[in-house]
Order: sequence, then C-alpha cells, then structure tokens
Amino acid sequence: MNLLLDKYSFIRYFSFGLAIIMMVTSIIGLSTKGLNYGIDFTGGFLTEFSTSLPVERTRMQQELESILPNDFILTTSNDSTHWTLREPPVTEDHNHTEQTESHIWLEKIQEMPYFKQSNINIEWLDSDFMGSQIGQELKEQGGLALLTTMLLILLYLAFRFEWRFSVSSIFALFHDVTIVLGVFAWTQVEFNLTVLASLLAIIGYSLNDSIIIADRIRELMMQNSHHSLSKIINLAIQSTITRTLITSGTTLATIASIGWLAGESMHGFSLALFVGILVGTLSSICISATLPEFLGLSVDYYKKRREEAEAFSTSP
Amino acid sequence: MKNFNQEKTQSSFSRYSKWHYLIVIISLTFFIIHALPNFYQSKDVLVMTPSNTMASTIDIKSLQRDLSQKGFNLESIHQSDQVYTITHDSSRKSTELNQLLVKKYGSNYHIKIETQDQRPQWMKSLDLSPIKLGLDLNGGVLFILNVDLDKAFEERIKHIKLMIDSVARNNQLYGIQFVHQKSDEIVIKYQKTKDFKIIQEKITSSFPGVTFQFANKNQVVLSYTAKEKSKFVKEVMQQTLTTLRGRIEELGITEAVTQRQGDHRIRIELPGVKDPSEARRIIGATASLEFYQPQVNSNKTFNTDNGEPVRVDPIPIFTGENIKNAHAGRDEFGIPLVNLTLDNVGGDKMLKFSSQNIGRPIITVYSEYYQNSNGDVNKKSRIINIATIQQELGSRFSITNMSSTQKAHDLALILRAGSLSAPITIDKEQTTSATLGEENIINGLSALLLGFGITFAFMALWYRRLGLIANCSLIFNLLCLVGLMSMLPGAVLTLPGIAGLVLTVGIAVDMNVLIFERIKDERRKSLSWPLAIEQGYKNAFVAILDANITTLIAAFILFTIGYGPIKGFAVTLGLGVLTSLFTGLFIAKMLTHLIFGFARRHHFTSGVKL
Repeated sequence: MNLLLDKYSFIRYFSFGLAIIMMVTSIIGLSTKGLNYGIDFTGGFLTEFSTSLPVERTRMQQELESILPNDFILTTSNDSTHWTLREPPVTEDHNHTEQTESHIWLEKIQEMPYFKQSNINIEWLDSDFMGSQIGQELKEQGGLALLTTMLLILLYLAFRFEWRFSVSSIFALFHDVTIVLGVFAWTQVEFNLTVLASLLAIIGYSLNDSIIIADRIRELMMQNSHHSLSKIINLAIQSTITRTLITSGTTLATIASIGWLAGESMHGFSLALFVGILVGTLSSICISATLPEFLGLSVDYYKKRREEAEAFSTSP
Repeated sequence: MKNFNQEKTQSSFSRYSKWHYLIVIISLTFFIIHALPNFYQSKDVLVMTPSNTMASTIDIKSLQRDLSQKGFNLESIHQSDQVYTITHDSSRKSTELNQLLVKKYGSNYHIKIETQDQRPQWMKSLDLSPIKLGLDLNGGVLFILNVDLDKAFEERIKHIKLMIDSVARNNQLYGIQFVHQKSDEIVIKYQKTKDFKIIQEKITSSFPGVTFQFANKNQVVLSYTAKEKSKFVKEVMQQTLTTLRGRIEELGITEAVTQRQGDHRIRIELPGVKDPSEARRIIGATASLEFYQPQVNSNKTFNTDNGEPVRVDPIPIFTGENIKNAHAGRDEFGIPLVNLTLDNVGGDKMLKFSSQNIGRPIITVYSEYYQNSNGDVNKKSRIINIATIQQELGSRFSITNMSSTQKAHDLALILRAGSLSAPITIDKEQTTSATLGEENIINGLSALLLGFGITFAFMALWYRRLGLIANCSLIFNLLCLVGLMSMLPGAVLTLPGIAGLVLTVGIAVDMNVLIFERIKDERRKSLSWPLAIEQGYKNAFVAILDANITTLIAAFILFTIGYGPIKGFAVTLGLGVLTSLFTGLFIAKMLTHLIFGFARRHHFTSGVKL
C-alpha cells in the first residue's frame, strides 16, 4: 500500500515536470507557427461542396483554377468527396456578390468536360462570407470570454476552497488551454468558432476533476492529523482514481465517436475536446493536486478552520 | 440534512414520503410531455392536383414501383378523387422527386411540395412544439449586418446644417456663419441674438435632442449630449430593425429571426431560404427617395444622370417616409414605373406644394449608400426625375422612367417597407443547404447514439444493478433536456449544441460514478445498504455541487458573450447541467431506494455485487 502511494508521489512529480515541458513546447509552437485561424476570425469566403465520386485533389485544383480568378485554398476529406474551398477577403470594391455566388461557379465547373465525361455530380453544401472586421472582434470577444470564465471560477473556488487550491486549479486550466492551443498550432488544424467553444467547455470539464480531488483532499485533511500532506494528496488521488478513469474514459469514447461520425465540421471541435479532456485529467492529478503542496499548504489548515467554525463541519 | 442524521438508524426509505415521489413524477411527466413533439417531425409531402381535364388517372402501384426503383423510399401514396398525396422519408430528396414528377406528369398535373405537420391533435391544441433547429441543421441563410451608426450620426449633423442654412435664407437673416469643425458639432456665429433665437427655435422643434452651448460672444456650439446621442443610436437601431423586418416580410419569409447583436450589429436568420442573392439585395438596400423644389441661390446641388448640377432647396418637400404604398408597373410605352400613394401628411404637403407651384418643376432624388475600396461608406444621390407640375397633385402619383423592371420592383418594395436611416454592410453571410443540414442532423445523432451505446454498455457491465439506475437516469436526463429545450422559446439546437448534449452525458455519468464510488466506500466500512446509499449521496453532494456550479459559470459566460453556434452550445450545456442535477440527485436516488428497498425486503441484497 505504502509502496503504491509512494509511486503516486513519483508519478505526480514526474508528470508535473512533463506538464511544464509540454506547456513550453506548446508555447514554442504558438509563437513560431501560430494558429491557423478559420474564416470566422480572418474573414473571407468559404464554400463546401461534395462530389458524387472521389476526385484527385490536384485535378480538382486545376479545374477550379481555370474558373476562379482569385487565390484559394482547397482541402478535402479522406475519401476525396467532401471539399472545402477558402478564399481570402477581396480588397477591391464591394462586389463580393459574384464570389459568394458559389452556385454559379459550381454550375460552371459541373459543365467542365472532365466532370461531364466521368459523370461526376457536384453538389453545393454550404457557403460562408465573413467580413474581416467582425473576425477581429470575435477574437477579442473569445479571449475576453476565456479570461472572464477563468477569473470567475478563480473567485468561486477561492470562496469555496483555500486560495492555493484555487490558484493551482487555474494554473491547471491554463496548462490545458495552452496545450490544446499548442496542438492546434503544431498540427495547423483550423481554429474556428466551435473550437473556441470547446476550449470553454474544457475549462468547465477539466475543473470537475480538479475540484473532485480537491474536495477529497479537503475531506481527508479534516479527518487526519498524523499523515503528511503529500500522503493525504496521494490518498485522495487513489480514492478518486476509479472515478476519474471511468468518467474521462466514457467521455473520451463519446468524443471519439463525434469525431468519427459527426462530420467534417466537428473535427476541430472533437480534436480540441479530446486533447483537452485527456490533458485535463492529467493536470488535475499532476498540477491541481500537486501545486498546493509546493505553494506551502499546511496539513492542518482545515483542522484549524474547523475548530474556528465547528458548526459548519461537513465531516460525518 | 440534520433531520436525516437523527433518523439514520431507522429505515431511510420512510424519509421518502409520498409527496416527494409525487413532485418528482409530476415534473418528470411535465418534461416528457414537452419532449414528445420531437418524435413527430413534420414531413414533406408532394401533392399532385389535376391542372386540366386531360389528366388521366395514375396507376398507384406502378408509380410506386417506378419511384422505388429510382431510389425513393415511399411511405404512402394517397388518392382521393384525382388528388394524389405522396409521402416519402427524406425531405432532402423532395426537390428531386418533385422534378421527376413534373417531368412525368407536369403537363396534366400541378405538383407542389407541402410540409405536413405530423403532430397529433392534442399536441397542436396544447401548442407543444419540437426543438427549434439552428441554421446549420435546418438549412438556410444567415446574415450579420453592420449598422454604420457613425455615418448615420454624421448625416444627422449634415441635415441640421442644411436646415440652419435654409432657415437663414428663408428668414433673410444676415451675418449667420456656421462651421462644421468636428464631425459631431456645429459652431454657429451670429450678429443679432434675435436672429439666433429664430434658428434655435426652428432647430429645437425639428431635432429635440440638440443642445446649444454658448461659447464666446455671439457664438454657440450645437451638439448632442452623450445621453441624447445614445438615444439617437437606440432609435436608429430600432428603426433599422423594424425596416428590415418589414422587408423580410415583404419577401415572404415567415420564420425569420431578426435581432440585435451587440451594439451595432443585426443578426438575421432565414431558415429554408436557399438562394441568398435576392435576400441580400433587398436587405442590404439603402435606397431612399426625396422630393425637392429647385432654388437658384441654394448651396445644395444634385447631379442628373448627365452630370448636370441642379440647385435645390436644402429641405425636401417630403421624403420616402411619407409614402404609404408603392407598386411597380409600366407606363403606356411599356417603360417601368413605380406608382406611389402618400399618407395624409405627405398628401397634404403635396397638395399644398403643387397648387402653389403649377408650371414649376419638382425633382425626385434617389440616394443610396455604397462602400468604396477602403471600406468607407458614402452616400450617392442622383436625380432620377424632373417633372413639371401640370396640375394639383394629390396623394397618388408615379415615378416614371425606371431603368429596369427589377429596379422598379425593388424600389417599390423598399418604399413599402421603409428606408434605412443608417447605411448597413454585410459582415457575415452564411448559406447552408438543406442537404448539409439533414446530413448534420443524421451525423450528429448517430455520433450521439454511438457515444451513448458505449457509455450504457460500460455502466451496465461495471456497476451492474447501480449501472442500470445510472442508465435509467441518463435516459430521463435526456428526455428532460429535450423537453426543456422544446419548451423554452430561446433555445435552439445547433450542431455544437448536439456536442453539448454529449458533454451533458459525460457530466451525468460523472455524477453517478461519484455517488456510486462513495457508496462502495461506505459498503467497505460494512455499512448496511440503505445507510451506505444515504451516506454515499451525502458525501458526494458537495463535490458534485462545486463541480457543476463551475460548469454553469462557463456556460453562462458563453451564453452572454457568444452568438450563434456558441450560444447554442452554451444553452445545451447549461440546461444539461441543470437536468443532470435533477435526474442525478433526485431521480437516481429515488430509483436506488426503490430498487434496493425492494431487494432488501426480499432479502436479495446480500448477494448483489457492485
């Protein structure tokens, strides 16, 4: 038993170091490669369409280049039937009309000899125009939302727990968000509005883990006096580990099924959530539970508080 | 909690009184009834009615065979007299089916797609409706418009300047000078206080929000206070919203959502609209009409189509606001025109003006905002008509010589729905096809089902009997959430919303796992079942509460700051936390007591494995 608990300590300190290394790697990725912002943030045009049979990407690129006057970025799904075309915002006169009329150029391309001969039907799915100014505002709004959420949660936790727990949880959150952003920077997967939403969901979710372990630590601190803080933390982790694994496991399974089935537009979303919940689970153990120890939480903190306010005890 | 501590030694089941069960059951039924309409989605049916006497009877069987060979999944073909109603399973194929039928029977039959409500009568009478779907699931067009409030304010100041000019001329006030130094104020210099009083009186009666500040001797600064300016902004936004709603109504789109987004944006959702070009042209149009009389010594000029400047009186006789009705038509030479009917105020003005000015010209000015290459918005006005007044004109007259029928139609529509006082530009335009929408629903739901399946199977295998409880409460949770979302008017389901549903499942499972692990702990301390259950719920409660409140904080911020898909996500996440708390803490607990109470009474419990 004791051996197992010591192992927990080792795992905690080791993964704390690992977490720091991952954060640094993410920050390097963010500062060198940056995020591949979607048109929600950059402005521009986006058209989605599908072909009834797979078409080679280079072929499609060629066919489209002959019709579209401006630069564009063409991406496709794995089976080469679902296509996404991105065009930058036009700087000339206010004639986005012709460009957004994806019906028109899609009809034109349908008439191209290559597609006619091979009997490929092209179906328009979705078109999107975004002014560049609103994108900047959305970025600011998103950053504001992230910060406000963190701040309010910090306040709530400081009120409910001890400030060291609160700071540790927030640091863990910062770690989760940074790593998810880092993954998006390194993989250059498009960062759009739904990914931003998933970042906020991650904040809510990964806090769950931190809070539940913190709650156990608090409970054990109130009960025990002869254990060291490190041991109490290990005990708390050990008694919640089943729950942590089950919850994260089932949620990860569900998110994986979203990534697999819910279609192209949810890929970024599910990637963010998957990574977020994975690192969120780790950080709840190696950061939110470990950091209070480093910050100098004393083992009899709650005992003292309890003596001060005997009436509010929640211990059975 | 205290109560229960005292009763701890007794059977805990007695604590659950009948009314306790009753409340839970009533609220559960309430949510489930609201969730029911979602199982009766409206369907597309194709109705074929004979368009002439040549229509021959169609053999239903062969038609059925024919269509299923072509890949349509028919549910039924119903015939009464010679009217055929065809129901099939996929609304995205409706257009395709329609085209096929038109090709085959179009010469003798009139074929149209109708949406059929599948709800039973009692649901309709109780006004129970399914969850509203967002544009990403339903297909349609989304516009986010930017209202240029600065420009509108600038126009207002310009207008005041022209008014001062006009008053000075008409009253022959000399020595009045005014400078438009900053964009939001005018400095007026005068020689006689009496003259200034005249101007002040006129301006205040027309623009009540204006304040006058004495700067130097015989010098006044005219401006708007911050409060008056924000009132002006509010008015402009309100007027823009009303006008846009009017225009969308004119376009025949019934289920549109038009709302303010942030301080200077307007969000328009047009479900079911496939081609955004017409909507874009009409919604974004800033055309307005003004009618002027010429004045030789005026500073205000407009250009005719030939580029000739014409000096006019700065104050229009009347504007497009006085137009009650407008219709496009053609004159005797077939040239498009717009027939106008004025309201009482406009009619009086016209009558008074025309009777005094027979033989003199009246000038019609058409103005529009356009955006230049720098993204700046400018007002472009030109004279579209100079007519000589032949006789007294009443409330009806027309604007002739429109350049195209399309232009005449658009102008008539815009005049009917009202013009915009602030220029608007399109910030975002998103069109989702119904095909993609339907695909999104199918994909989202299958992902949800798979995720569910995994979770269900795991919980059942790992926790056995308690897992059954968890799964039951999970199903109730989803039903409650769907019911709640159908009930609330503001809740809209989007694709990220479906993802929110998935997270809700995660949260709900977490809650059950937390409780069950605690119950196991208590069992290890060899507590009896009922006590272990009570203690388990009690011990897990604080952690559950803290964890869920933080998630609620995140959902609330997303809801207040985000728009569109993010808001949809926040709504499902937030409501999901609430229903999870309800089902996890009340229903699951009730079920636990019911099942284990039953087992205990029949001495099963000792053999139950957790």
